[in-house]
Amino acid sequence: MARRYDSRTTIFSPAGRLHQVEYAMEAISHAGTALGILTKEGIVLAAEKKVTSKLLESMSSNEKIYPLNENIACAVAGITSDANILVDYARRVALSYRKTYLENIPVEVFVQRICDVKQDYTQHGGLRPFGVSFIYAGYDEKFGFQLYHSDPSGNYSGWKANCIGANSPNAHSILKQEYKEDMTLKEAKSLAIKVLSKTMDSTTLGGEKLEFATLTKKNNQIKLNSYSSKEIDALLEEEKDVINNNEEN
Amino acid sequence: MEVLLGIQGKDFVLVASDALAITSIVAMKRNHNKTRKLNDNVLLMFSGEGGDSVQFCEFIQRNVQLNGIRRGYPLSTKAAANFTRVELAESLRSRHPYQVNLLIAGCDPDTGVPELYWMDYLASLKKLPFAVQGYGQYFCNSTMDRYYRPDMNLEEAKALMKKCINELKVRFIINFSDFVFQVVDKDGIKEIKLE
Amino acid sequence: MINLDFLNPAENNNVLEQEEANEYMENLSVPTFEIPLVHNPVEFLKHQTHAAEQCRLSIVHGTTTLAFKFKHGVIVCVDSRATSGTYIASQTVKKVIEINPYLLGTMAGGAADCSYWERELGRRCRLYELRNKERISVAAASKLLCNMVYAYKGMGLSMGTMVCGWDKKGPGLYYVDNDGTRLEGDLFSVGSGSTFAYGILDSGFKYDMTPEEAYDLGRRAIYHATFRDSASGGIVSCYHVKQDGWTLISRTNVKELHYKYQDEPKAPLV
Repeated sequence: MARRYDSRTTIFSPAGRLHQVEYAMEAISHAGTALGILTKEGIVLAAEKKVTSKLLESMSSNEKIYPLNENIACAVAGITSDANILVDYARRVALSYRKTYLENIPVEVFVQRICDVKQDYTQHGGLRPFGVSFIYAGYDEKFGFQLYHSDPSGNYSGWKANCIGANSPNAHSILKQEYKEDMTLKEAKSLAIKVLSKTMDSTTLGGEKLEFATLTKKNNQIKLNSYSSKEIDALLEEEKDVINNNEEN
Repeated sequence: MEVLLGIQGKDFVLVASDALAITSIVAMKRNHNKTRKLNDNVLLMFSGEGGDSVQFCEFIQRNVQLNGIRRGYPLSTKAAANFTRVELAESLRSRHPYQVNLLIAGCDPDTGVPELYWMDYLASLKKLPFAVQGYGQYFCNSTMDRYYRPDMNLEEAKALMKKCINELKVRFIINFSDFVFQVVDKDGIKEIKLE
Repeated sequence: MINLDFLNPAENNNVLEQEEANEYMENLSVPTFEIPLVHNPVEFLKHQTHAAEQCRLSIVHGTTTLAFKFKHGVIVCVDSRATSGTYIASQTVKKVIEINPYLLGTMAGGAADCSYWERELGRRCRLYELRNKERISVAAASKLLCNMVYAYKGMGLSMGTMVCGWDKKGPGLYYVDNDGTRLEGDLFSVGSGSTFAYGILDSGFKYDMTPEEAYDLGRRAIYHATFRDSASGGIVSCYHVKQDGWTLISRTNVKELHYKYQDEPKAPLV
């Protein structure tokens, strides 16, 4: 029975579900974990890289965290090639807004524009929906730092801390327990590492398995700081205690 | 033959637009308002081809308001001015460009920083401390150059505006019996009397 | 006229849908005219519209129309002459267009343009009434007209009109012309004789006039315009718009007015 409603994204099943969209979400729950934590001082983005091999050229570009505009970056969970299309679109949207208004696009407007595209693929023309969820970290003058999440259906929502991808329910409950409103950026970083160390399959964390970035504001300039694998190793060394504690538990 | 004037003071912009509506040699109306509110803190003033100016400004007005609704807070003066410039520049390359000259006055409701922009029908946009649109430029710019200070208070700006209006009444062939004066500050836009 | 192509049933459907869509657009948006399929339609027709051409289409010009608001509503007065160059084409043109029982439009410029667009305006006002279960305001009606002619700006339309009526806000008076200009006001005069009419109106207008005084002022203003402007003349029509709609007050030959006013002493100056 369900088969009849599987093949098209645009047709509801008799139970009122859109199977293809749900399958897309399922695909994401197998992807590498990505998380974001919002603080007053800035935002932490962290993600687990699934594809690791000694033969892989480590100089090649990021696959989980992308800068999208001066004031916005995102972390991805899902099909990377799908994400590339949306990332490209998102960058164009942000730039064309800047061209028209001579100022950075407000974060929510930006997220909505991308979600409009995602939604479009759940309704029109029998195409496959994008198999990507995003966590957006952004800053604008009116609302300051903001963290958003969007899924393949085109739904989006604002968060203080969120996680997508494999093991995300686990990660979510840790975030829920440990998140504090008045966290510093440093505390957020160690929380991010704690969550990843608890939820990732691999036994040892390392720079080659992680991507890490912070979005901060200094002297009225928004800065996205993407960590190199060496910097991540250094950070992991700093946060040794957090990781070890986990292992004891 | 229309005149628009704007003076940016320390925390406000004082603007004036002549109130005359002309068709050929006849003054059809002497209490005509040549301005549109883009939002609570940004005022668009227009002069130019009849029809075009109103159609263009109302188009801009509605779009700026739509943008405000979409993002949940109003567009800044700078963003509104630049959006207007982009729209006029696009129209300029079409078969029927809008023939309209503009002044855009605004004041940030949070910081209280005033801004004044000048734009002609060729979509050239410039941020200026004081600006005049139309033939008034030939009569008022020197006066403004002579007396303008960036830290003027409202009383001083009014006095300078009076000098400019006076000069127009004395030397310009058109008899503008009336002007519409408005102040844009962080509390909004309000019409005032010069006296 | 539905073009049925029996060979392609799929396309038939499309034709029907297209027709339906066209009809829908026709009802709701600005009407669209067939424009000559050339790069510049205005240029293309120049040899028939330009003043210097021998066999040009004669477009009726030359008029005096006026309207003003006062205590008891709106007065509308017009002449009735149509000229084509120096030739008087008609002395009995109806230059007040009765859009509906609450709205009047005046005609100056091209007679065909005025009557076509104001008829179209009447249709839209009626549609508005059916959709919204209330009468359209004068402001909205004049804006509709303004937007319609603005869509054809620069293509040779010639229209100077006053839209007069009564709505929730009271008496309404708007000037609309083919440039797309639209002005709200208390007193307007349009046409080649308008300056003469303004002279009478501006010096004789009082807001508190009785209706009879207002009718007389309007008629006199048109009469004096016809006296000085050779393109105005014929019959003066006078309308009064009140809360419950417009009424025709009088139609008077300017000749009668001329002899009547001639016999009267001039009005005192001091």
